[in-house]
Amino acid sequence: MIFNKIHNNKFLANTVSRSDTIRMFDSIQSAIDGLAEQKYIASEEIATAVFLSLKMEKPILVEGPAGVGKTDLGRSIAAALSMDLIRLQCYEGLDESKALYEWEYAKQLLYTQILKDRLSTVMKHEKTLAQAIDRLSREDDVFFSNKFLLPRPVLRAITSERRSLLLIDEIDKSDSEFEAFLLEVLSDFQVSIPEIGTVRARLKPCVFLTSNSSREMSDALKRRCLHLYINYPNRELEERIVSLKVPECGEKLRADIVEAVHKIRELQLKKEPSISETLDWARALVILGIRDLTHDVAVETLNLILKYEKDIEQAKQNSRSIFLH
Amino acid sequence: MTEAAALEYRLFEFIDILRDANIAISADEVLALFSALPHIRILEKNIFRQTLKTCLIKDYTDIPVFEKCFNDFFGSSGDAQAEVVGAFRDMNAREIMLVESGALPHGPAALEKALADFLGSLPGEFILGKSPEELTAAFLGMMSGSGSSGGVGMTPDGRLKKSAQPQQEGPVGDEGVRDTYGRILYAVEAMMRDRLSRKTTGVRIRDREEYLLHKPIYKITQDEIKEMHDLIRRFGQKLKNKISLRKKRVKHGGPDIKRTLRASVRYGGMPFRIFFRDRRIERPRLVVLCDISGSVSQYSRFMLLLTHTLQGLFSKVRSFAFISNMVEITPLFTEMDPERALSSIFSDTNFTYGWGSNYGRCFEQFIHDYSDSLTGKTTVLILGDGRNNYQDPGLRAFITIKERSRNILWLNPDKRHLWNWADSIAYLYGEYCDTMKEVNNFLDLSEFIDKLFIDI
Repeated sequence: MIFNKIHNNKFLANTVSRSDTIRMFDSIQSAIDGLAEQKYIASEEIATAVFLSLKMEKPILVEGPAGVGKTDLGRSIAAALSMDLIRLQCYEGLDESKALYEWEYAKQLLYTQILKDRLSTVMKHEKTLAQAIDRLSREDDVFFSNKFLLPRPVLRAITSERRSLLLIDEIDKSDSEFEAFLLEVLSDFQVSIPEIGTVRARLKPCVFLTSNSSREMSDALKRRCLHLYINYPNRELEERIVSLKVPECGEKLRADIVEAVHKIRELQLKKEPSISETLDWARALVILGIRDLTHDVAVETLNLILKYEKDIEQAKQNSRSIFLH
Repeated sequence: MTEAAALEYRLFEFIDILRDANIAISADEVLALFSALPHIRILEKNIFRQTLKTCLIKDYTDIPVFEKCFNDFFGSSGDAQAEVVGAFRDMNAREIMLVESGALPHGPAALEKALADFLGSLPGEFILGKSPEELTAAFLGMMSGSGSSGGVGMTPDGRLKKSAQPQQEGPVGDEGVRDTYGRILYAVEAMMRDRLSRKTTGVRIRDREEYLLHKPIYKITQDEIKEMHDLIRRFGQKLKNKISLRKKRVKHGGPDIKRTLRASVRYGGMPFRIFFRDRRIERPRLVVLCDISGSVSQYSRFMLLLTHTLQGLFSKVRSFAFISNMVEITPLFTEMDPERALSSIFSDTNFTYGWGSNYGRCFEQFIHDYSDSLTGKTTVLILGDGRNNYQDPGLRAFITIKERSRNILWLNPDKRHLWNWADSIAYLYGEYCDTMKEVNNFLDLSEFIDKLFIDI
């Protein structure tokens, strides 16, 4: 089966680089370092789970509150190991024709029209209708061949010439039927297409699923995956993240920001500020040319990290204990 | 026993403990764990823990339970084992001979195994009923017995009888040996105690949860409320997941002719793709009326907490609290998190008008002020004991509520035989309710919510 030819000619050009060795993390520490190069600070826990998932060639399901860098983790792994990133964003109503593969009906129809004459010459010796149908069905695979198959992200990941990372984002947004389609891919790295047969991965892709846990995944899916729960980082880790992503931010400001965010997370809010909000805040303060996070500045810029009016009000009420300066 | 086998054994024990604590772990997960272990360095505790977690725990609500079990199981075990190792190391060759010929299996790992086998062979109730000292004695008795004669009675009683005088069974030699033997005995006892506490970690967690869930709500103490809140959050999340999974399964409706025809135009009128209508998921609307007077306030607290944890499942939840004044408390829950909302409700005072609960007045008030919250799809959930302090029951208003809603359900914290006792007019209201049910503990409450979703 020569899948790669049909789906993307760009890859043909790339096959030259096929010979270079596949990069892998060879220890947990090297995973931490490799991710750090991609500006992703991974805790030991995250690195362990990622490392194991790669070593064991098992998909990994990452859960956690919004904005703690789940998608970013997938992206960073792909970049660190120079794998192709194939991303599949899930949504309600996503079906196999959008995720696995689809037949190009219009193209099939067009080709039939164009080949009409040719078809009649093929069929002209057949006497009866039944014979004609027999004859035609012998040509079936012309119509259901790779030529008319449109690979979607999952099939693309499986047939890719290079090692790829399939990022299935926000799987909790999809329907449970869709989960069932995925099971075959997750456990055997293969896709069954009734008209063609089973397509097996030559190079097993890394499969990375993220979920905001808006609904429970089925046990079947969970069993096939390793599981990683990413929570908000501790103060020290978050400071390192800020220093990496917003290097312009001074050390003192950085410490103040992170401390304030951590205190705000302890309040009981509708939506706690996540890492991305911390980073936004730090960037904004740098742009505003602020060096010290004074009480007044902090209160004025609270809307950068809190997304609900009530949350802001609540933080303001407690502002004396949160912002010390 | 080799190192690897010992480790394997311990891991299986740990998995059993997790299962005891009601965490579902299938063979797939166990296999994954064992294929993961060669890739990591087991001695690095943090990494070891994460490996276990990532392979075994698939539900993030189980993570706190896992951490607790892990700390209990792997946290303290080092000491007892080290003691035994030390005791063995201090013995000279002759003493080892004595011990070997006497009773104990050689080496700490083998000893662990023997201990585990011993405990595994005993019935659970038997273990729970005995102190660690007694069990150690029984264990030593059995070991020495099987070492010399092998003809020990296999019943637990037999073992115990035999172990009543373990000193006589043990080696009788000079002071030094006896001393060493004493140390080993001590160490074995420590191991036994340790093992017993570990073995029961999972069961303890499960028992504690079940205890809290089953405990009559009025008996829950102030200290337990905090614990209860955590449990409700965890439990509520699980319930929510379960229900949303169930809902997803009834999604597909009949074919969508319009859409199918529209799409077929592209292919010259050939209906290549058939579209289906999604069956509309009817989420129930919920109106919760909670009596928050002293007698039932604890129930109301948990009820409100539960309904708001599950808020996403309903298309709309409106909550009202009353004693003798009906007050809408929905905004409180949208403004702040449930726990703070609860405490502000219970510290507020505008629920009272006059003295004691007045159901009749509150129902009338509800019809007068909030009847817009009732539609044909609304389920009305009332929580209260129906003790009306001999006042007007306001039946007309209550019947109006029933007529304007889909169904009306009443949860009564009173025992059934008290329903018409003294000032309670529960049966009077009960006649007009679709169900009136006695609730005692948290499980009763949650079961009720769960049922709301079954026949929709």
